[in-house]
Amino acid sequence: MLLKAEKLEFGYKEPLCRPLDFSLASGEVVALIGANGCGKSSLLKTLGGLVPPLGGKVWASSVSLVRMGLTPPETMTVEEFVSLGRSPYSNFLDGRTHEDLLIIHEALAMMDLVGMARKKVVHLSDGERSRVFLAEAIAQQAQVLLLDEPNAFLDIPRSHFLFRTLRKLAEERGLGILVSTHSLEYAERYAHKILSFTGLGNVECALANEARQKGLFDWTEI
Amino acid sequence: MRLRIGLLCLSFLLLLLIVFSLLWGPTGFGWSSVFGSASSPVAQHIFYHIRLPKTVAAVLSGAALSVSGLALQTLFRNPLCGPFVLGISSGASLGVALSLLAGLTFGCFGVLSSAAIGALVVTIFVMYVSSKFERASVLLIVGLLTGYFVDGFVSLLIASSSAESLKVYVSWGMGSFGRLTFEQMGIFSVAVAVGLLLIAVSIRYLNAAGLGDEFAKNLGINVGLYKRMVILGASILAAAATSFCGPVAFVGIAVPHLAYALTQSSNYRVLLPATLLCGSSLCLLAGLFTTLPLNALLSIVGVPMILWVLIRSSRNWRL
Repeated sequence: MLLKAEKLEFGYKEPLCRPLDFSLASGEVVALIGANGCGKSSLLKTLGGLVPPLGGKVWASSVSLVRMGLTPPETMTVEEFVSLGRSPYSNFLDGRTHEDLLIIHEALAMMDLVGMARKKVVHLSDGERSRVFLAEAIAQQAQVLLLDEPNAFLDIPRSHFLFRTLRKLAEERGLGILVSTHSLEYAERYAHKILSFTGLGNVECALANEARQKGLFDWTEI
Repeated sequence: MRLRIGLLCLSFLLLLLIVFSLLWGPTGFGWSSVFGSASSPVAQHIFYHIRLPKTVAAVLSGAALSVSGLALQTLFRNPLCGPFVLGISSGASLGVALSLLAGLTFGCFGVLSSAAIGALVVTIFVMYVSSKFERASVLLIVGLLTGYFVDGFVSLLIASSSAESLKVYVSWGMGSFGRLTFEQMGIFSVAVAVGLLLIAVSIRYLNAAGLGDEFAKNLGINVGLYKRMVILGASILAAAATSFCGPVAFVGIAVPHLAYALTQSSNYRVLLPATLLCGSSLCLLAGLFTTLPLNALLSIVGVPMILWVLIRSSRNWRL
């Protein structure tokens, strides 16, 4: 088990749902769905350790929260951005070892970014940028990736590519991935499990191919 | 590799300027009259008490102001930031105004210690007030407002002072590297070294800071600690430079941009030393013209020069 939450209560001051039990295994992609403002982002931030839980406990191996909407400084190149992924392993002077450089190059190659390593991140399209953010997370070598609506700004083919990549990362590298999204189509097609905020503070989890029958999508039709 | 050679070139340029600044002056004499067998007391006095302190002042305050500006621009993610947004120069001005215009004296170094105490008091106040808020931008607002508040008192002092003391005050405001004495070099060096050290150990944070606090936290960086260290370091640097050399605002705002234009790197392992070397070199260059007021020289010659470099490099850098 890469990540485990027990009786977890999260939110700001008031818990956003009933105490939640959840676990993420190696090689598993879990889609997180729910209405706007129901607490998807809060849950991800709490699991990522950026916000302390209001109750319960979270055990996690190395976790990285990947945010696609960030705007890097105008002067930052793709390579420099991906290199930030190695800073958890560096000292305060932020040097990079030979091994670090290999890992950075491997992450760039995996996301097909080698050709644009010297380009400024702000000059890239949304699709290319999402690959840069993923490459940074890969360079971190975190066991668990948490993604907050990664396909919010992507067109249909690029969304498919993104989710295919997530699935590949989980299956080939044994990562655990929790990804929030508003597209049920991608959730059903690419995730192993679906975690759904079904309303009134309930959170339910089911296998992706059973989620629809079990009523996890009922909240989507008013 | 290319960047290493660039940094080496900058270091060499700085070294050349240091030697030139030590040798060049209205009175001509060679190395032998200072160190050698044919040493003359006049040459030694000029060397140790005029040229050496002046060179040290230019190198250290150039480094201090430019690194302080770079750190604050990164921290606030605002390219217009400089060392003086924190109200430091206003504090120093008030200290100097109180000592020159109102006749109050603080400490043993006269005007200089008044400037240092003024700068420190205002900086501590600004940092204390803004520590009550979470957003970093509050510090900018508090700094600017405090600056205006303090400037008000300076204006009052100016309005009620004699023409003679006013002239001394105005000449302090124009900035000069010639005010540092041989005895003060030690304390100035220590202050600058402490400030630079505080910022140098925060390179890992500075590299990630451009993407926001949450991103840095996600990388396991203790954001709160490093932010305080950077602000403290930047304040010490700006306060030291302002106290000893006057309010030289331009260096802190412009040099980081110049360093970026030259290196095209946003990695602070490169950008920080490049900024330091550019700042020192620029100040040494300006300090060679002893008869002209420093602020006027830096603005009239420095601004077109830096604008030219920025425009030249804008082909691969959209401002």
